[in-house]
This record gives sequence, C-alpha cells and structure tokens, in this order.
Amino acid sequence: MHALSERRITSLVLLLIAVVLLYNTYGQQYADLGGAFSPMFFPRIILWLWVVLAALDLASELITRKETDRPQILRVAIIALGTLVFLWSMTRLGFFLSAVPMTALILITLNIRKPLPLLAVSVGVPMALVALFNHVLALPLPTSPFTWWF
Amino acid sequence: MIDLLPQAAALIFTVEGIAVLVLGTMLGVVLGALPGIGSTVAVAMILPFTLTMSQAPAILLLLAVYAGSVYGGSISAILINTPGTPQSAATCLDGYPMAQRGEAGLALGWSTIASTVGGLVSAVVLLFAAPQLAALALNFGPIETFALILLGLTCIVSVSEGSLLKGLVAGSIGLFLGCVGGDPITGEARFTFGHFQLISGFNLLAVVIGVFALSEVLIRAAAKLEQDQTLVTFKGIVLPPLSAWRGRWKVLAKSVAIGNGIGILPGTGAATAAFISYAEAARSSPNRANFGRGEPDGLIASESANNAVTGGALVPTLALGIPGDAITAVMLATLTLHGVTPGIRLMTDNPVLIAAIFSGFFVINLMLLPVGIIVSKAAAPLLRLREGYMLAMIVLLCSVGVYFVRGNPFDLMVMGGAGIAGFLLRRQGMPMAPLVIGMVLGPTLEISLRQGLIITDGSFAAFFTGHPLAVVLVALAAGMLSLPLIKLLRDRGKA
Repeated sequence: MHALSERRITSLVLLLIAVVLLYNTYGQQYADLGGAFSPMFFPRIILWLWVVLAALDLASELITRKETDRPQILRVAIIALGTLVFLWSMTRLGFFLSAVPMTALILITLNIRKPLPLLAVSVGVPMALVALFNHVLALPLPTSPFTWWF
Repeated sequence: MIDLLPQAAALIFTVEGIAVLVLGTMLGVVLGALPGIGSTVAVAMILPFTLTMSQAPAILLLLAVYAGSVYGGSISAILINTPGTPQSAATCLDGYPMAQRGEAGLALGWSTIASTVGGLVSAVVLLFAAPQLAALALNFGPIETFALILLGLTCIVSVSEGSLLKGLVAGSIGLFLGCVGGDPITGEARFTFGHFQLISGFNLLAVVIGVFALSEVLIRAAAKLEQDQTLVTFKGIVLPPLSAWRGRWKVLAKSVAIGNGIGILPGTGAATAAFISYAEAARSSPNRANFGRGEPDGLIASESANNAVTGGALVPTLALGIPGDAITAVMLATLTLHGVTPGIRLMTDNPVLIAAIFSGFFVINLMLLPVGIIVSKAAAPLLRLREGYMLAMIVLLCSVGVYFVRGNPFDLMVMGGAGIAGFLLRRQGMPMAPLVIGMVLGPTLEISLRQGLIITDGSFAAFFTGHPLAVVLVALAAGMLSLPLIKLLRDRGKA
C-alpha cells in the first residue's frame, strides 16, 4: 500500500480544510459583542470539533491498511466534467441545448452507442422535459438566446 | 385530529388529489423498483413536478412516491436479486429463492400484502403519535430545543454505516455547512468569501441532491458496468390464500410493531428495521428452518417492517422538525419549499393540512395493494433498462429540480460541487446521511444554544438547573452516543 493512498489524501484534505476555516475565524473582523453574541461563537465550536475528528480519522487511516477499489477514472472524469459544463451552461444556452450533448456524452461514456437509441434518448428526453415544463406546466426551464421555444 | 378528518377529506378527494395519490404511488413503485434510484433520489426527481401544485396535493405526491418506492424496492429484490432500495435488501434473502423455484408471483403477493399492512398501521401510528409529540414540544423553550436537537443529532451515530468516526466527521461538515451565510443574531455574513450568493447559505436541496443523487451517478460510473439482468419468469402477482396465513399473523404483527418502533427512533431507518425484524422472525418463526430458502415468513418480516417505518419516521420529522435519515431530511426540505415548516408549531398552525397529509398517507398505503398488483407486472420489463439511460435521467431530472427551487444558477453549481465531493467522500466510506442531518439541524442547534446562553448570562451549567426536560433529553443523547461504546465493550467481552 502506498503511503499516499486515496483514503489518506482525502482524510488529509478534510483536515486541512477544517484548519484553514478555523484559522479564518480568527482573522476576520466582526462586530464582536462577546460570548454567544459573537457570529463566530458557534462556527468555532463546530470547526474545532471537525479538526479533532478529522485528525482522529487521519490517524486511523494511517494506522489501518484499507484500500479503495480502482475506479474507472476516465469515465468518472468525463461524466463529472460534462455534468458541470451542463449545469454551468443550462442558464446561459438554455436547458435543451445544454442537455442534449450532456445526455449523449453520458450515454456514450456508459457504452450506449447504437445511433438510434442514443439519438432518441439524448434528444427525446430533454425535448419531452422542455415540452412538459415550458408548454404544459407553464413552469419554464431556461430557454436559449435564439428562440423561446427551447 | 379526528374531528378535522371531514375537512381533510375535502382536500384529498378532489380530482387532483386522487390523481396525485394514484400516479404518485405508481411512480414511486416504478422508481423504487429500479436499482440505484432509491427513495431519496426518487423524491428528489419528483420534486420539480410538485412546484405548480397547491400544498396538499404536492405533499401527498411526495409521500406517495416515498411510500411507493419503499414497496417498489421489493420487486427488483425478488425478480433480479438486487434490492431497488436498501430497505429491501433483506427481501432478497427469501424472495429470490422463491422466484427461482417459479413462485415469483406468489413472493410478490406476500410482499405486497405485508407492505400494505405495515404501511397502514404506520399511518395510524402517525395520525395519533405525531400530534401528542407536538403538543408536548409546544412547552419547549430555547434550552429544551437545544437539548432536543442534540438528541436528534445523536442519530448520526446510528446512520453512520461502516465507521462511526467518519459519520461524525460528515456530521461536523454538515453542521459547518449550516453555519455558512448570514449570522442568525447579528446578520453578519460568515464564510461567504465575498460571494453574495452565499449570504442566504447553501441551498439544502442542492446539497442533498448533489451528495445523494449526483454522487450515485458517479459511483455507478466508477464501477464496472452491470451486465444485462436476467429476469425470472413472472406473469403477475399471485395473492396467497387466506389459509396460507395460518401461523404467520404473529410474524406480521411483530414485524409491524418492530418497524413502527424503529421508525420513530431518529436515525435507525427502514433497512435496519427490515433486518432486525428478519432476524427476529428467523429466531421465533415456526418455519425458521426454511429461512433463506424461500420462506414467506422472511418476506413478511422484511417487507412489513420496512413499510411500517415510513409513517413512524415521519413522526419526529413532522412533529419536531427532526429528520431521522436522509429521506426524511429531503422530505423536510421539500415541505419547507411548499410553505410548510415542520416542527413544534406545525400542528397548531396548519391543522387541516396536517390532517389531510395524515389521512392521505393512510390512503396511499391502502392503494399499495391494487397499485402493486397492476404496476409490478408493468415495471418488471423496466428492470432490463440499461444503467446508462437511468443515470442520464437522474442527472437531467435532478438539475431541473434544483433549478426550480430558487431559479438560481449558483444552486446548480453547488449541486455539481456537492456531487463530486459526495463521490470522493463516499469512496472513502463516509456516509452522507450524517452530513445532511447536520446541515438540517445545525441552524436550529446554533440559535437555540446562543439564545439559551444569552438567557442564562453565558452559563452553560444553568441549562441543567430548572430545566428537567432538557436534563432528560441530554441524558438520552449521552446514552445514545455511548451505545456504540457499550456494544464495542460487550463484543470484546464476548470475544
């Protein structure tokens, strides 16, 4: 087992995030009226708790020899990135125009490559959702800058 | 509550009301049957469809999907040996062996009746227990509320599958996420790092859908893709004759009682109830020798208990605003979206609506029997659906749901970020339910603690003098927290 396993790195990152956030609570200027009136009163308690627990978790990861299975990294990265791009572009390009390539990308990545089902699902499902929400339920999804239809 | 039932019936038995009860239960059964979706994701997927509805039908639709999905999980458990929801994992043990010997229809018949009975009894428990609990909680001040939330948080211990330490880390992350945004007393922005979108905090549903639904998509994409499922022969549900129930009523009654009791305890959940009930039936049933080989008592125990949890779990969620698990946390967040704030004042502020919800929940469970018979046959071929289609649908529907909550593009990015973070955390065995419970309960814990300290001039010790109820609740919380330690010591003693 490598010293830098995925589990150990994640535990370390969680500890570092907690430490940075806790440090941040001491560096900010607040209208501190003292005690329970302070905006940082409760977050500090929680962040201290997080730091202690994350440190214990990291120690336990260093002691034990648990390994996670090797994921299909490329597949996950493509889907995660595709989803983020879709979520970012949904309110800019409209739901339909951003959903079609994202759905096709997910299907292709997950080995659904027959043209007819691929096309039917990646165009048909977003189209059905737009028709339902925009034109039946009158609860509009974001539309494209080109036409109000989708 | 009983005297409000006629007014409640007027709310439920409209065309819209009946339509949502029937369609919601059907959808719930289908979504529950599809492995990987589960009750939490099913409710999240249905959320956008409720936004144009008025309060009662919207909430009833969500409840119908919830109850239907818990039952639906048994369909795939029996037909393909893969539980549609974690609650149905124990159903595989006897359901699939029955299906393998050509009794799939009968196995589903047993599970349908057991689920219906379990759900109906839990609806009655909800109807009577929730108002009593809420009436008691009306006397709570900030100190009692703090103690109550503390007790609610201890359920993190029981929802931390795998590692308690990781569950506690997830819980503290959730509590921190609840702190982001405006301070509840001074109004100053905390941890916003200059992003004005964060002043109102992280949107709970965006985080919940991200860590449960989106991370599930990534987890499944990371794993080896499943091969096409082979279905056993199934020609529709066969209801067991009344004579076949002889000697099995006791198992049913005991399992329903276990499910209801466990459901009311925050954090224990339907999967635990199903396994405890199964273990008890395996110990005490006259047919225990056949357990694991297709014994109907095993199916009755698991399915009646997991459906009995549904109503029980709603008792603390609705009456106290304390979600016991992820699904009730999602329910709580969606209720808030519809202008209903679960908690101490819910029963007094919305008596007719609550009566409608409770009686509607009874009707939903009553419908599990006919809907189960009709839908299970239609849902069976869907189990052959390629995983890719399902995962793409989850991403699309979840993003639509999150967009409709506030129409805020930032929430969509929060969902995406939560999905990736949830994926990484789940890969190292960190449960997500504690994170969500921490995020839901954090703001109330903070405000009640700070108010309590202001009342007592900063003396935490004064919380325990003159507040006997708070002392009892904190003692219970301490007891709950020490349970794993006691269990560990007992196990070591045995070893």
